[in-house]
Amino acid sequence: MKSFSDFWKKEDWQAVWLGGIVILIACIAVLTKAFDFSALKFSTWGFGESDTATLAALGKQFAAGAFWVKTLVTVAVTGVLFTLGVKLQGGSVKEYVPAFLGLFALAFIVRLVSAEFTLNRYLEWAFWALIIGLLISNTVGVPKWLKPAIKTEFYIKTGLVIMGFSVLFSNIAKFGLYGLGIAWIVTPVVIIFMWWLGTKVFKMDNKPLVITLAAATSVCGTSAAIATGAASNCKKTDLTMAVSISIIFTVLMMVFEPMIVKATGMSPIMGGSLIGGTVDSTGAVAVAGSTLGGEAEKAAVLVKMIQNILIGFIAFFVAVFFATRVDKTGEKKVGASEIWTRFPKFIIGFFVASLIASFIIQPLAGADQVSAINKVLDQYKNWAFVLAFTSIGLDTNFKEIAKQMQGGKVLWLYLIGQIFNIALTFFAVWFLLSGAIFPIPTLN
Amino acid sequence: MAKSKKEIIFRVVTILTVVAILICAGYIMAHRMGLNPDYDFGAGAYYYADIPQFERFTPTEAYKSSIPYWVHVVLFLAWGWLMYRLWCWIDKSGK
Repeated sequence: MKSFSDFWKKEDWQAVWLGGIVILIACIAVLTKAFDFSALKFSTWGFGESDTATLAALGKQFAAGAFWVKTLVTVAVTGVLFTLGVKLQGGSVKEYVPAFLGLFALAFIVRLVSAEFTLNRYLEWAFWALIIGLLISNTVGVPKWLKPAIKTEFYIKTGLVIMGFSVLFSNIAKFGLYGLGIAWIVTPVVIIFMWWLGTKVFKMDNKPLVITLAAATSVCGTSAAIATGAASNCKKTDLTMAVSISIIFTVLMMVFEPMIVKATGMSPIMGGSLIGGTVDSTGAVAVAGSTLGGEAEKAAVLVKMIQNILIGFIAFFVAVFFATRVDKTGEKKVGASEIWTRFPKFIIGFFVASLIASFIIQPLAGADQVSAINKVLDQYKNWAFVLAFTSIGLDTNFKEIAKQMQGGKVLWLYLIGQIFNIALTFFAVWFLLSGAIFPIPTLN
Repeated sequence: MAKSKKEIIFRVVTILTVVAILICAGYIMAHRMGLNPDYDFGAGAYYYADIPQFERFTPTEAYKSSIPYWVHVVLFLAWGWLMYRLWCWIDKSGK
């Protein structure tokens, strides 16, 4: 480290401390039950077609005092912490505070829109944050006073440290060697295949985009793209592209994959595992798995849980790879101190949070308490990511996105990679779960 | 510089594919296909912690492995390391 002050002045380290503070307060709130630290979450609302998701439900939520208290808590916690970070980075608090409040107001609209029944079920916040941000920046333009709040990386890194607490190592063994074989054998092979395809065959120069898309395809969509994108220091348009492609294809795969599984007559445990290993978002995995029955749903979710653990490891290896191989100049081997300088430090925070949750809080307080803490943290993580994705939208123009398609190579990289992912996962599922080689496991 | 016929075909096929995908996704959403009416979430729950009451989906004893936990960890780390070396090797080859 060049200077000891980097510990509190640099954005990477600040993300670790700020994420750590949120985790610590959430732990104290849940374990002592002394106060409610939960952040704002909108109830699902709609246009009167469902009993629960109605406009009246939204009106009821707005009329409740607790809703406004939670709004205040959310804006205060995120506002105070990020302002502190900006101050320590040498920024102007006077300029940042009104800008942050403006950005938070936009994030509030994003979350309100994405809580609408259909939008909530399929696309959620990442998509709408980008759309709303892009609409503003490409029509009326971003007002000057709002610009100081556009700090995409800062919000993403802090959100990732908070997310680290939900990555529990105990989940590795939840489906024994079957789950490990399906989730962990296939995932890195698909990443390497897509890297080779993107960089060697398609000759794409934008390596961060290739690896971000590969992680989104093989691990678990949006969350993996955010972590890997930050680890490889990808451009905001790279992340936009990877997340948008992943979200749209998840909608298709959630519907078509169970149909294909049924048509081929695959056993529920095989079909569920295939869905768990290939459908990107965890919610889509659970829903698609449930259409094949209880056993398929369990298998699907168990495989996906293992993939969720991989986010941190993949991000770590990507960070090391980019620090030692991609970002280096010349042929000289990069030394340990140089690797350390280039290494994104927030990944350390991510791992430490994960280790604390897995090996300290879970054994001492129990899985239920960890789950309760994560319920609180998940909303803070989502708010940080919504702020980040709204910032991306505000900071991007449509021309840049069109350029990122690289004449269509990005789409084909995803499509071919996803087909390879499905084929390889199917082989692993057949090998482990068909009963031809190993005994078929029983799920309770 | 004039684009080759191959490039034009590639571009047209790509655009048609994108349009088909978007229409298909729009149709699915408009007809609310693939949803489970019992679940208060869908593909929009990107991460497991986004799913309400996620605990019910992964009961602790859903599967009991006869192999010790540490074996899983060792295999996990060993495969990860091996794949990292393979990635480096593939990246280096052909440079």
